[in-house]
Amino acid sequence: MRISGKHIAIGAGALFSYVFLLIPLAVVVGASFDDGAGAYFRFPPEHLSLRWYRELPAKYWHGLELSCLIALAAAATSTLIGALAALGIAKGSLGRSALLETFFRLPLQVPFVVTGIVFLQFYYLLFDAWRVSLIGSYAGFVLAHLFFCIPYAAGAVGSVITDDLRRIENAGRIAGATEWRVFRRLTLPALKPGLFSGFFYAFIVSFGDVPVSVFLSTGGVVPLPVEIFQTLQFEFDPAVLSISSVVVVLSALFIVFVQRVVGLDLILPGARR
Amino acid sequence: MMPGARRAYDSGLIAAFVGSALLFLVPQFFFIRQSLLPNLAPGVVGDTLSLENYRAIVTDAFYWGVFGRTIGLSVVSVAVGLLLAFPTAYLLARIRSRVVRWLIVLLLISSFVSVVVKVLGLTLLLGTDGPVVRALHALSFGLWDLRLVHNDASVAIGLVQYTLPLLVMILFGVIQNVPPSLEEAALVHGASDWRAFRRVLLPLLWPGALAAALIAFNMNMGAFTSAVLLGGGRVLTVPIMIQRKIILETDYPNAAALSLLLTLAVVLVNLAALKVRPGAFAATHPG
Repeated sequence: MRISGKHIAIGAGALFSYVFLLIPLAVVVGASFDDGAGAYFRFPPEHLSLRWYRELPAKYWHGLELSCLIALAAAATSTLIGALAALGIAKGSLGRSALLETFFRLPLQVPFVVTGIVFLQFYYLLFDAWRVSLIGSYAGFVLAHLFFCIPYAAGAVGSVITDDLRRIENAGRIAGATEWRVFRRLTLPALKPGLFSGFFYAFIVSFGDVPVSVFLSTGGVVPLPVEIFQTLQFEFDPAVLSISSVVVVLSALFIVFVQRVVGLDLILPGARR
Repeated sequence: MMPGARRAYDSGLIAAFVGSALLFLVPQFFFIRQSLLPNLAPGVVGDTLSLENYRAIVTDAFYWGVFGRTIGLSVVSVAVGLLLAFPTAYLLARIRSRVVRWLIVLLLISSFVSVVVKVLGLTLLLGTDGPVVRALHALSFGLWDLRLVHNDASVAIGLVQYTLPLLVMILFGVIQNVPPSLEEAALVHGASDWRAFRRVLLPLLWPGALAAALIAFNMNMGAFTSAVLLGGGRVLTVPIMIQRKIILETDYPNAAALSLLLTLAVVLVNLAALKVRPGAFAATHPG
């Protein structure tokens, strides 16, 4: 194959993107091995040591655990709601309703920082009215995260409900299958990539969120990204480098696990070659 | 379809709709009301409804500047993000090689890590003591003392970091839906690479690319991680002003008014984009 200007442009653009996306992660992991006094971050590291891994404060581990639990609940619930919504819109008696589709996408129009304040003030009101305390609570985080996770999940599931699927289902009915059997044997398998990718996107957005969660965190109940953000904003603690590196490594292990066990094309349709 | 099955789908939709409506609309209602109340003292809110909070923001030239800067940074970051995301997504979608699988793994890893961690890496890299500044300083024999943090450019770099993985993933899906044979046909008929891109690929990608751009734009408009950490308090955007109103001034009504104006700006830009290209939001995945 002839190497043309097009190949060079595409290759250079892709190479730059990958360097741009991965270098900061490499720098964080590299700097976490520096045995600095703690006043500044140093990269490249000067004296290699595992000091900041041994002295990793428990609050970061709690933050990581909390973030995982929030993201799991928000992703699972929003995928369920998104699936019910997408199926109902595609197959319910209303017919495909553009108005309903727009409704489930509404939160995409609300900036994250605004979502954070909206829920902060709402939780204050709930506390004043009924003494329900949601600020700094697990349920409070999950509810606010559901707000911005539902559109991703509904969109992902909606994108796999196609006309082809309808024809296949009709074929099943003509062949004498019951509605339940059509759903279980034909609809559900077709939905699988949508469910997986909806869950995955919702998990990503929730797991990395700062602008919403920062307003809902109090005392000891702080998700990891907010913990890191607040540390960077107010003081310098080299331990954020080591916990960040832990996140990078865990993410890498998780993705490779997904690739090996369920396959990437369930998350990113068409990813398997 | 049997009526029973249709009823089952209907009840699922009703459950999803009622749950979402409670979540989407009830908090927003109280929030809008809050924005119409006077702020008497830090944390003390009056109970007479008026548009005073909005008037104070709209008539203040300072806020116009803040809004202009926020929109400008968001637009520039989306444009740079699309320029980087397109070749990356094209390569991932078109090249048939086992390497691509690992490139996708790397992309997903990057998308999984919170933007705070990436911004932390950027501050190490671009900071005044960082390797990039030192290298430029050395290469230019000490003449070039570049400032790469605490300015608009560094904030924009952080925003691109924030949205690039998502842009690549969306464009990857869009490009995959365009059969490569269409481009090949254009090339066989004598079109140049550039012409095949502009006349065949671009018109087919345009709706999906616009939807991706809008999602990234909306994310940028509501982000403050990179503005706080890379802007170092020198780059004031609307999200930062909102955060300050809440945390420093405990002024909830004004923060609410500012938030609703930010939402309004986002909605207006989205409506304008849809006017240019109706249907851009049609089922682009994700979102």
